Amino acid sequence: MSETAVKTGMRKSTPKIPESGRMRRIIKNRAIYLMILPGFLYFLIFKYIPMSGLIIAFQEYQAYLGVTGSPWVGLKHFERLFTEPMFFTILGNTLLLFFLNLAFYFPVPIILALMLNEVRREVFKRFIQTLVYIPHFMSWVIIVSISFVMLSMDRGIINELMVMAGFDKINFLMSSDWFRPMYVMQVIWREAGWGTIIYLAAMAAIDPGLYEASRMDGASRFRQMWHITLPSIRSVIVVLLILKIGDVLELGFEHIYLLLNSMNRDVAEIFDTYVYTAGLKQGQFSFSTAVGFFKSLIGLILVMLANKLAKKAGEEGIY
Amino acid sequence: MMTRLSNYVFLTLAVLIVSAACLSMARSSGEDEGSTSSGRLTSISIMANLHTAQVPSDWIEKWLEERTGTQLDIQWVPDGSYDQKVYASLATGTLPQALYLKNAASLSYFRDEIRSGLFWEIGPLLADYPNLKNLKPEVLNNTSIDGKLYSLYQERALARQGIIYRKDWADRLGLSAPETLDELYEMLKGFTYNDPDNNGVDDTMGLADRNDLIYGAFKTISSYYGTPNNWGWYHDSLQPEFVFPNYMETMKFFRKLHSEGLMNEDFPITSKTDQQELFVTGKAGVYIGAMGDVLSLESRLLAHDPAAELDVHNRVLGPEGYGIWASEGYGTVILFPKSAIATEEELKKILSFYDALMSPELANLIYWGIEGTHYTVQNGKAMAVDAFELKEKDVKPYQALMVGGFSTIPGMLQPVNANKVKDKAEQLIYDNESFLIYDPTGPLESPLYNEIGVRLNEHMRDAAYQFMLGMMDEKGYEAEIDRWLEDGGRQIIEEYNASYRRTVGAYLHE
Repeated sequence: MSETAVKTGMRKSTPKIPESGRMRRIIKNRAIYLMILPGFLYFLIFKYIPMSGLIIAFQEYQAYLGVTGSPWVGLKHFERLFTEPMFFTILGNTLLLFFLNLAFYFPVPIILALMLNEVRREVFKRFIQTLVYIPHFMSWVIIVSISFVMLSMDRGIINELMVMAGFDKINFLMSSDWFRPMYVMQVIWREAGWGTIIYLAAMAAIDPGLYEASRMDGASRFRQMWHITLPSIRSVIVVLLILKIGDVLELGFEHIYLLLNSMNRDVAEIFDTYVYTAGLKQGQFSFSTAVGFFKSLIGLILVMLANKLAKKAGEEGIY
Repeated sequence: MMTRLSNYVFLTLAVLIVSAACLSMARSSGEDEGSTSSGRLTSISIMANLHTAQVPSDWIEKWLEERTGTQLDIQWVPDGSYDQKVYASLATGTLPQALYLKNAASLSYFRDEIRSGLFWEIGPLLADYPNLKNLKPEVLNNTSIDGKLYSLYQERALARQGIIYRKDWADRLGLSAPETLDELYEMLKGFTYNDPDNNGVDDTMGLADRNDLIYGAFKTISSYYGTPNNWGWYHDSLQPEFVFPNYMETMKFFRKLHSEGLMNEDFPITSKTDQQELFVTGKAGVYIGAMGDVLSLESRLLAHDPAAELDVHNRVLGPEGYGIWASEGYGTVILFPKSAIATEEELKKILSFYDALMSPELANLIYWGIEGTHYTVQNGKAMAVDAFELKEKDVKPYQALMVGGFSTIPGMLQPVNANKVKDKAEQLIYDNESFLIYDPTGPLESPLYNEIGVRLNEHMRDAAYQFMLGMMDEKGYEAEIDRWLEDGGRQIIEEYNASYRRTVGAYLHE
């Protein structure tokens, strides 16, 4: 709809235009406001209104009494969380897995995207791209099952091969030492390809003139990558990094729950798995909500910190 | 920032509101119909668990209505969302007159609601009904709360656990069914090292077990060692099973099996599917679990090895004689909400309906279907017609309405077992009942256990696995027990003992 059409339409229906500046602007641009409405409603209905449910974290919520009738218990559920004997182990595991993820997984899609960007043959590039995307569409159940079959002590291929080569079997699945490497490797295997999409899109937007100019100056492919490609996608990297930090405590419940067992619990238990057994399984909705609330707060603080740091470093940040 | 967890909670809330709206509409329309079409008939609303994918036909419902002179309004809820639906109805005050819970575990989550007086107490009324009074007192006791009875139950066999083993392997090695724990050990050893499948390759093992300390092999063997069932009497107080020396002996037995390679090395993370796979592909020779599984295990094994032969066994002599842990004895319970049943008169009418449901005629109707159409009688036993569609659509859904079961309804038709081993398994399940070990905490209550018990027991389960794999020694395990006591176990013990004294008081009173 063109600007004039909006204006004439306006004048016909409402002869009086409010004097206040803001209302005037809204009415003037009502087509644009209308366009934003579905998105606004989506966030309002599915993100903001449900947040009011957090109050059950301060109640002893019982279904038959409802949110209005359930008794208030103050910070009882938070106290239970902080006095949980495993609390610091769980917090430590969660943070450590997150940092491992950040250190080992985060750079992989960038490197992969840089490599793909250098591939000359379009057909070959598309083929590789498709191939590395595929794992993303497999559920964790399948990925963990595949690694179980390969790493099992009983008939696992890898252990069979090790025995043939004269080594001892390694108990990958039931050991505290192997849990973290296994977790990070699986995350990389599943997500690295998918993670390249945004970087590749950012690289496609780089002005080819820059490369041409640098070639004139005699820059090698590696120099081009270092001085043109990387700086051009820097802001994208920073934004994705901040968003990733926001997910600090979203390590993937299904994934870890599937890998978790009695022998690696001391390193594998995270908030999601803890709250599943300690709260949800027993219908303790209030306690579960309290843990979720606590997790979200940590996430929020980390995002704000990361954003501040990014801005200090001269980047745009996310808000 | 939203987290996945709170998303779930809020999603649930949203579903609650929507389903509440739908429910109240559905109910009000249903009530209208009832009042206009049949004023004289007793009308009963029921919420029941639907285990099949299809919507049931109303053949049997029509028969039931005719025989009992009632108007039934059955609300079928798919098994997958049953618990949510129950909570939604509870939250919106739209419970039916007869509420089936999903399973035995659901009852423990309902304790607070029941205590708060939302449901009718039916204990004192049962004696007036000729069929309902056949329900077993031990099982009713397990479903009671604070010594009061609020529900009818659907029966499950008390102890289905036993040993399923390769008869052909045992015969080849000259072994008989294991009568003692030592003989069981010898059998597992023979099956591992003496090439029982006679193929000249060392590719067999004794026991296939899985990641389940209860329904896997562990708890059954612990019963053979004479360990109490979850809780037991030590001097004059109730104590958890893992403080008993028998429990430690059981763990040592498994530790020995594991270190000598007589069982699958990965058993703490082996799924039931993988466990059965080991057994039916001829890799393992012994399976300890529900004996009734022998039928499906046999057919799968024969597909792999037509010469294979299975047998079942239950009596294994331990240091304290025979023993097998008893389950609660019920599959689910039926509660009667006060919000839907206004007066005791109305409650009595509904109980009369359930009394009729426990008559042999109607029990056969809802369990087997209609004679001639769904089953035939051979030598006084029922043979289901071999038509999957018919069973799934007409009969199977209504089995969910069952009250009591084979052992409480005299005259209910037993199934014809064409399979010899399955028939033996059924007999042994019955034989198990002569040396049951009950869980004394069934009807008892510990508030702290309800809050943190699952979590605490998880630590003990972890420790047990670590001990059996040799990652922890006896001292380490004892330290774990101390930690359990420190972290709340001591209080749980006190609460169970206090609860026992209260409940026994209530019973002695009656």
